[in-house]
Amino acid sequence: MAKPKIAICWLGSCGGCDEAVVDMNEVLLRVAAAVDIILWPVAMDFKYDSLKGMKNGEIALSLVNGHVRNSEQEEIAKLLREKSQLILAFGSCACLGGTPGLANLTTKEDIFSWVYRDAPTVVNPNGNYPQTTSSVNGKVLTLPEFYDRVYALNDVIDVDYYLPGCPPPPYSVMYAVSAVLEDKLPPKGSILAPHRALCDSCKRNQSKPDKISIKEIRRIHEVEADPDTCFLAQGIICLGPATRDGCGEACMSINMPCRGCFGPVEGVEDSGAKFISAMASILDAESDEEVATVVNQFVDPVGYLYRFSVPASMLQKKRVEK
Amino acid sequence: MSEYKPKLVCFSCKFSWGYLRDEDTLSSKIDNWMPLICTGKIDATHMLEAFKAGADGILILGCPEGDCHYQDGNYEAKKRVYLVRRLLESVGIEKERIRIELSRDPEGNRIPRLVEEMRQELAKLGPLKKGSMIEKKPKETIKARGGK
Ligand code: SF4
Ligand code: SF4
Repeated sequence: MAKPKIAICWLGSCGGCDEAVVDMNEVLLRVAAAVDIILWPVAMDFKYDSLKGMKNGEIALSLVNGHVRNSEQEEIAKLLREKSQLILAFGSCACLGGTPGLANLTTKEDIFSWVYRDAPTVVNPNGNYPQTTSSVNGKVLTLPEFYDRVYALNDVIDVDYYLPGCPPPPYSVMYAVSAVLEDKLPPKGSILAPHRALCDSCKRNQSKPDKISIKEIRRIHEVEADPDTCFLAQGIICLGPATRDGCGEACMSINMPCRGCFGPVEGVEDSGAKFISAMASILDAESDEEVATVVNQFVDPVGYLYRFSVPASMLQKKRVEK
Repeated sequence: MSEYKPKLVCFSCKFSWGYLRDEDTLSSKIDNWMPLICTGKIDATHMLEAFKAGADGILILGCPEGDCHYQDGNYEAKKRVYLVRRLLESVGIEKERIRIELSRDPEGNRIPRLVEEMRQELAKLGPLKKGSMIEKKPKETIKARGGK
């Protein structure tokens, strides 16, 4: 019997998600024996053209990581959709827009001005900017179009399953891949991670006092955090109450508070707004001045609460005068 | 431009605002009015959702300080408003678009007045800039998502 075909592909990606696949170690060899990997740009030599020659739905599963910000990424995403029975949005960038999604807090114009004109290391006397087409010596050269904003994968194609994490931990990758191979998949649209919040499984949870009350917001690099006490109880912002469980507490175990890479818990669209509601109840402030003081201690709230999710959040993008 | 009439959502707590009046009569004078029990119920998600649904501004009327029927719902609401304002500013939305007032008016006459006052302030700011919460996704997207 022919082995099922699998594609692993990156769009706007740092490569960390591909690394997470490699981190399955020996298990990867077993997977590789059970399937036929037909595309994996980071690790193997394949051409997108051979993908175009395949029949629709010929690929059993595509693991797609990275965000979508240009026309090439969109084209590849659509091509994979056409050729695949199942698309797995792999990692926080594909699921939520990821850290590159923070670029939605600035504009395309500002990014181009900085990168091609204003950055101190730039030498560009002719003021050249990338163009989608240009002709050189009678030849036409093309570049992908850089979009106005970053999109999550499901903004451009239909996605069957989601595996969050920056990157997803290897055991969850194994779980996802074997669920497909063994045909034990949950309903379409499912996020392949627990429904509950990280706090539910966090070892520090027992150290939480009955009522947390903080007068001052402290930043992790400013204090020596106690490794066994709930971060919030120490006045350090930890996104555990509003973040989906399943990461394996990689940050907790090195004494770093949760930064939210697994995205919102089941049924919640915007984890940042949910966290704000929870956070309000633990801030010990009543008068306008007290509230303003403690709220203003929160440095870069959007960057902190939506580090991995601006494009998929209700905020989505900075508004500019048009 | 003179045509522009900002849309405002007003949430008010029934324990302090307009409880002596017939709600129907009062609501005929206030567009998008949501009387509720305790402003502490207003989650930050509701605030963002109001903007997403097309509001140009949000006015929240809670009970006077120290007078919340549930101890501190009004303070919770105030802290949420302050936090949400910080979010809005980071995405280019003026913080003046969301206001909270902790006070009391059993007859509720001040509610339409406060709404009108804020509406005038919002008119000076103009409509919410296009580009984020209310931005439509690309057409293909809507199709890909099954028309959602
Ligand atoms: S989710 Fe994280 S690891 Fe994966 S591509 Fe994005 S930034 Fe890299
Ligand atoms: S807030 Fe953070 S440290 Fe505290 S229990 Fe939740 S996940 Fe653990």
